[in-house]
Amino acid sequence: MPAWRLLKSDKIAPRLFLLHRKMMSVSASSVTQLLVDWQQGDQSALKKLTPLIYDELRRIAHRYVQHERNGQTLQTTALVNEAYLRLAGQKKPEWQNRAHFFAVTAQVMRHILIDHARRRRYLKHGGQFQQVTLEEASMMSEDRARQLIALDEALDELKDFDSRKSKVVELRYFGGLSLEETANALDMSVMTVRRDWRAAKAWLFRKMQEGNESDDRAWASRQSEITNRQSAMS
Amino acid sequence: MTPERWHRVEEVLQATLDRPPADRAAFLDEACAGDDELKSETSSLVEAYDEANDFFAEPAIAQDARVIFNSDAQIDAGREIGPYKIIKRIGGGGMGEVYLVHDPRLDRLVALKLIRSWFVSDDALLRRFQTEARVASALNHTNILTVYEIGQDSETFFIATEYIDGLTIRERIRAADLTLKDVLEIAGQLLAGLEAAHAAGIIHRDIKPENVIQRRDGVVKILDFGIAKLLEKPSPETPSEPSPVVRTETGVGVMLGTIGYMSPEQVRGLPVDERTDTWSCGVVLYEMLAAQRPFGGQTNADTLVAMLEREPVPLFGNGAQTHPALRQIQVVVDKALRKEPVERYQTAADMRADLEEIKRELEINKQSSAIRVQTNVRDIQSLAPQTSSPRLRRSIVMAIAALLITIIFAALFLYQRHQARARANALSANALAQRPYLQMTEAERLTFVEAQEQRISAMMGDRPVKLSDEALRAIKVRVDRYAARQNSASLKPGEEDLRQVYARAPEYIPVIARAFAARKIPIVVGVYLPLIESAYRPCYENEIGAKGLFQFVPQTAEHYGVSRAEMCDVQKMAPAAAHFIADRMAELGDDAQSMTLVLLSYNRGEDAVRESLRRLRETDANYERNFWTLFANRDKLDETFQKESAWYVPQFFAAAIIGENPDAFDLQMPTLSSFARDVSEKR
Repeated sequence: MPAWRLLKSDKIAPRLFLLHRKMMSVSASSVTQLLVDWQQGDQSALKKLTPLIYDELRRIAHRYVQHERNGQTLQTTALVNEAYLRLAGQKKPEWQNRAHFFAVTAQVMRHILIDHARRRRYLKHGGQFQQVTLEEASMMSEDRARQLIALDEALDELKDFDSRKSKVVELRYFGGLSLEETANALDMSVMTVRRDWRAAKAWLFRKMQEGNESDDRAWASRQSEITNRQSAMS
Repeated sequence: MTPERWHRVEEVLQATLDRPPADRAAFLDEACAGDDELKSETSSLVEAYDEANDFFAEPAIAQDARVIFNSDAQIDAGREIGPYKIIKRIGGGGMGEVYLVHDPRLDRLVALKLIRSWFVSDDALLRRFQTEARVASALNHTNILTVYEIGQDSETFFIATEYIDGLTIRERIRAADLTLKDVLEIAGQLLAGLEAAHAAGIIHRDIKPENVIQRRDGVVKILDFGIAKLLEKPSPETPSEPSPVVRTETGVGVMLGTIGYMSPEQVRGLPVDERTDTWSCGVVLYEMLAAQRPFGGQTNADTLVAMLEREPVPLFGNGAQTHPALRQIQVVVDKALRKEPVERYQTAADMRADLEEIKRELEINKQSSAIRVQTNVRDIQSLAPQTSSPRLRRSIVMAIAALLITIIFAALFLYQRHQARARANALSANALAQRPYLQMTEAERLTFVEAQEQRISAMMGDRPVKLSDEALRAIKVRVDRYAARQNSASLKPGEEDLRQVYARAPEYIPVIARAFAARKIPIVVGVYLPLIESAYRPCYENEIGAKGLFQFVPQTAEHYGVSRAEMCDVQKMAPAAAHFIADRMAELGDDAQSMTLVLLSYNRGEDAVRESLRRLRETDANYERNFWTLFANRDKLDETFQKESAWYVPQFFAAAIIGENPDAFDLQMPTLSSFARDVSEKR
């Protein structure tokens, strides 16, 4: 039977949905377990969770973009919430698990974006030796990449002297959580989150600006180094 | 920085930020007396804080979603999909990419359209893909793209079709190198393909320049039967797809590409037949000749209004000296673009026959080949017999211009008188409200909408403002759409007859009225909220998981004590919604503008609301705040709010106008607000 007949007889579609659902439910129990493990301090659980969440977020993000194109809006909390419900199954989720899920999601988002930003910068500055597709080069602006990297570094530094604030920023900025949700996830009052958030924003932004300046100097010196080397070779 | 030092700095920073901006400098001086280092440290942070808000306003997860999605969008050359080897990407469609591939079995080039795994969980898209394959494979015609096979490779579905090395009509229009002969040729072949499809009982429904491609040897092919519809009784396993207009409902300004080509009946959501394709062909033909669409506008709403109510600008001017062939083309275009399907070409064959005849005549006179069309109407007018002297021609032009000006003034005068009369009719004794909306003329509808909007604004405690034309039309388009839902034949899947929807009101309106009255929220707002939010479906769940009459996301619902399972329970949700709105109103003010922002932003968090409100008020602190200032000033809002404002505000009034004029819409019930008021007064 030719393949299109299969589709025509509507046999493939239902099978595919079943398969999809089966995969979802398999990961559902393991995701819940991994969250519990991670909560209890098992760091390897986070490593296992990351790819699962990554895939799910990307899948949803894809639809996010589609919807955006169609003029619908999709709220970030809803995005993460949907990811959670899909990964952890449709049963009524435990709040604790969900809070941790948000925390993990925010971390994963941070990793994905920073990773991407670094690649973007690499392409810009060292990438002349690299085959770059048009799409890849146009995805994230140079400015945006620079900002994200600066934020990431500033956030690491903030963590050293005020780790709670770095957590708040991670959830709010990378996880897209509202003040209330952040408060829930970190078991803090909304008031405290609000104050942490504003102080952290001020400090981070100032740090990022300093970082940008020194970053520019670093690239400038690297560029001149490359130029020197090239002229020495010729 | 050490934790101790930071502790000290933060203390001062927080205390400074607690004060209004004007007092901050003085406070810093006082708080850091004698500690210059602390002062400079803190003041630089305060400074940074003001700028930081912009950077942090939108979370990265929202800003950069595109990046995450795109990071593996491209499939590398050389990769194999099923039996095919990828050569390069040649296009991206709504639901997947198109690649040029090589089929080693037959050693030929093939176009492969891929649908990605993540779409597979999306019912409608997979169905669309199936439709496309099924429909196209049922058709075997030179002017329709041949489908070779449909298949699947692990997580990817694909359709393999013949590869066309050529340009789409869109590209040809852009290149501006079409001659009159080309245009007639393309239109003829397009119509021949449609004739074949119609004969097989298939309507394309999405004919537009992007979906028609011309091979280098001149052969024209129709692509993308993705939303095609089977003419005869659709089999149960092929429920008809929602047409693009359904999607436009959710996004003003997004579907411009397609909206310009849909027929009036398609836009109105009425049943369509092959004559809808004839209309679209008319639009394409017009566009090939004029390099612009017959009906256009800055927004979707404008385009829709133009299409439903106006006649297109004549293609070649009105000059009597226009070549007979061009006049004939004008006749063909006019006939294809008749608003009533019965007045249109009844078949593609009829339209093609007329075009063929024009072509033949031109060929006999050997006049067509060198004539370039579009962008430069004078070239076409060179077809005019050059008998008159330049001076004579100039005087003819002047005479025509004078005549035109007279006509325009006369028309304006008549139009204004007509409008004034319609308005007078409406306002005297509320005559229009007694008449069925569906029987009103377009002008009467507008007048009706305007009068009702004023009334409802006043009911909500808003000082009514005179609405702009754009706003009025935006409401009217939506009222039209709902009013059309009055016979089951015209309903799309998932839609309900208007009467069915309002018949449910007795169940939930008392509950909402009580909950909203308890929180002192204007009842009108509460009553119509569920109608707009759920697009008239009581337990509708959208793609993001927002659900129920009030379309909360589970997070928001949970925050107000409603679990996910209870989100369709109006008894639980009405108090939660009232609570939520009351909370925000207490914080932001109870003017309708703040309230609208709140309604638009359930799921965006109150930070976003606050920020938007601040920005709006900053622009002009004195303007009258009501629903419509938000609509009128939506360009000052962020993109999400812009879209939501463009969609919800008119939608809200459309729902209210229907609910407040049940007689005009043949709903046998009291007005919803009186209904709600009775309930809350009995408390």
